[in-house]
Amino acid sequence: MTIYFKIILTVLLLTGSFFSCEKDSFVDEDGLLITFRSECFVSNFELLGADFVTVRAAPAVIDTVAQTIDVSVLFGTDLKNVYPQFTLATDCKLDPKITGKMDLSNLADSKIFTVVSGNRLVRKPYKLIIKYQ
Amino acid sequence: MLYRNFNFFFLVWVLLTSLTACQEEEYILPEPISQLTNDCLKRTIGPSIASLPIEFAYAMAIPKSQGKLVSAQVEASIPGGTGTYLEHRSYYTNSGGVDIPVTIGSPSTVVDAGKSSKVTFTVDTNAATLRYYYIVPDEAKGQTVSFTFSVNSSDGKTASYKMGPYNISKMSIKKNLTVSNGTNAFISIEDMAIYNATSAAAIPDKIDLVYLYRASPTSFTHGLVSPGADATFLPGVTLPSGLKKSTKLRKVFGLQDRNLANLQFGIYVDDIDLTSVDMTDMPNYAIGLRAEAGVWVETADKKYRAYIYINSVNATGSAVISMLRYTL
Repeated sequence: MTIYFKIILTVLLLTGSFFSCEKDSFVDEDGLLITFRSECFVSNFELLGADFVTVRAAPAVIDTVAQTIDVSVLFGTDLKNVYPQFTLATDCKLDPKITGKMDLSNLADSKIFTVVSGNRLVRKPYKLIIKYQ
Repeated sequence: MLYRNFNFFFLVWVLLTSLTACQEEEYILPEPISQLTNDCLKRTIGPSIASLPIEFAYAMAIPKSQGKLVSAQVEASIPGGTGTYLEHRSYYTNSGGVDIPVTIGSPSTVVDAGKSSKVTFTVDTNAATLRYYYIVPDEAKGQTVSFTFSVNSSDGKTASYKMGPYNISKMSIKKNLTVSNGTNAFISIEDMAIYNATSAAAIPDKIDLVYLYRASPTSFTHGLVSPGADATFLPGVTLPSGLKKSTKLRKVFGLQDRNLANLQFGIYVDDIDLTSVDMTDMPNYAIGLRAEAGVWVETADKKYRAYIYINSVNATGSAVISMLRYTL
């Protein structure tokens, strides 16, 4: 009777150890850590030309309530080949991702960039409004 | 029992091996060089470009007991351009870091249809380091060139040293061209030259860019604009008839090529840079240029790519530019 009890106990312990090792996923689909932060905003914006020098005529105006970024660029800026740079709140990420130069030459159709919070629960779309100096 | 004995002998063997493995090798004094010998190094770094020199330092020595140096020569696989020579002075560096020349013979003579340069020693010496300056000829573009350095001594011995092969760039270089607003403002990549309006009107198919300076708007300043660009970027410019090419330009900052920047900085633009630069969707104008900036250029017919470097700018409306051109 005792030996049967021991065998059952061992099997139960082994099974339990297998299941107890399964852990929750703390990374998102990009392999980034999901945190508990819910802050979700753009704190700074930069726009670089093909030579990686700024093409802004003045600092970008970021309205975190209206969720807009207004930026005025220098005369003659080639907006077909620019590199936007966003500074976000801690643990946030941007959608769509910026992987290289972008074509932002269509001024009539403002580009939307969505900021996603660290806990991946808050999403705030920011409208990028560009105009020439 | 047998197993225990085996273990014991194995342990003894390991201990003995470890003892002998630590035996130190005795230092042997190197044999002094007892014959004519030579060595060479290439002093020039960066791409080898037609019209520019490749510099070598060729060192040679013979023990005093064996004799003295008689002559030194270099043979290039492709004859060098005008200005190729083997120095007739040996250099040493003094305590202040300055290279001091000591004349060892008469200036070098060119033999073998320009392939070889030879210096005959006129002083009694048994060691020297001679510089060799090989001017890359136009014919060598895209090829490889090799060099054979050799020295003869009074005991009848000869030593030689092979260098290379070295790839010769397909690029052409032109330095320090002055462009000025409204006058010498028309740039031809094909000719690597600057023209005024009258000359440009005679060769409209060769004019790729117009230099202009505008103080307003403040971001305009110095610009390189293709004749086919929007009139917004050619304010107040009346183009000579026939100028209409649309040349692609890509601005760069911080790429101060050493050759273009008159031997300042330590960056080199090479063939691969000109072939691999992405010119897709690039505009046909570049404004707001300043000293030490540059532009990648692709001509409208895609025959040439070039890198134009701004050596200096003048607020009165002129600039000094240099260019590297690559034929695609």
